[in-house]
Amino acid sequence: MFVTALALGLGSGWYLIEQGSSLTTARIGPWSVWLAAGRPGADPYTVAHVARSGRLPITSTNAMYFFARTDSEGEQLLANCEYAISGPRLEVTWWSLAVYDLAGRLISNKAERYSFSKTDALSATDGSYRIVLSRTARAGNWLPTGEAKRLQLVLRVYGPHPWTDSSGATDASALLPEIRKLRCQ
Amino acid sequence: MSMKSSWSIVLATLAMAGVIHIITVLVLPTFAPQNAATRLLALTETNKMLVLPAATPAHQSLPLMAPDIRYAVCRFDLRNGPVRLSTAIEEDLWVIAFYTLSGVNFYTISGGDLKRDKIDFIIAPQAEAAVEVGASILDEIEDVVVISSPEQQGIAVVRAPLPGPSYAQRTELVLSRSSCTHDISGIDRIRQ
Repeated sequence: MFVTALALGLGSGWYLIEQGSSLTTARIGPWSVWLAAGRPGADPYTVAHVARSGRLPITSTNAMYFFARTDSEGEQLLANCEYAISGPRLEVTWWSLAVYDLAGRLISNKAERYSFSKTDALSATDGSYRIVLSRTARAGNWLPTGEAKRLQLVLRVYGPHPWTDSSGATDASALLPEIRKLRCQ
Repeated sequence: MSMKSSWSIVLATLAMAGVIHIITVLVLPTFAPQNAATRLLALTETNKMLVLPAATPAHQSLPLMAPDIRYAVCRFDLRNGPVRLSTAIEEDLWVIAFYTLSGVNFYTISGGDLKRDKIDFIIAPQAEAAVEVGASILDEIEDVVVISSPEQQGIAVVRAPLPGPSYAQRTELVLSRSSCTHDISGIDRIRQ
């Protein structure tokens, strides 16, 4: 009985700290965001999540961090597949999209390219952008996935943005990029 | 076993699981061995500015560090008096954020908000009488901003997003000239 209780208690605690719930995180397509990260008086799940992550997030008033471990279809992001990440112009001070392995490490590659940002991604005349995740070189904004296995993406958005209100990040759905699988090796 | 006693075992197990759940969640932040403050403690001296090495696949000072942002950090300790943080602001994109050791971001300001290319912060403990929650600018005179810290110790982070990879060297150089010190002479007259 004690073992069952221990497993249930630790398991549910771990799950809500790692994965979040509707009370702590917002999910927008493949993207999830911890709404109260770094905020004074944040709920204990968020506080524990931030402590465990080892990160020092800026509160959502000034920056937002969107995480994706799946494509827009909900399938795991894999380094041996190729993805197109495309989004409309983002009217924010700065954004940056970086790719990591599941342990949060950058992925070694000959091009030494780990991210694209608002200031260095090539964009169309309407401000929209397309970034391709692939092991092999691609024209345009190529983000190499090297020898990693599973991937996670972090989209950092700096400055005042249209979804800063405390009610959540639901307004972001039209602004966050779509992640579409092109092919797998 | 009767129906009634098996139900009570289920309920007792669930209640115990609930207690364990709550304890796990509440206790974890205190004992998280890998939180940011602990990691930075291993790298930095107190009241000294440190430019973190650029994040690469081989080395990251903190997990999920941005490869296209350069960071300068100061672990401040106010027990021997206020601390002064001075930095240049090269771009409106730069963000200066102040944290407690447990990662609460109590104050943030961006280069765009500051509208100047150089700034001094005086970090002082929050006055006992202060009613504000977190921190606020108590006073703002010329290029000095006073930050009231809710705790005696904390972390200040200057973030410098790179407009492009070619900006890395210059940005690191500018950040390396920023400083964090107990010496507030010259600007202490604005206090009190």
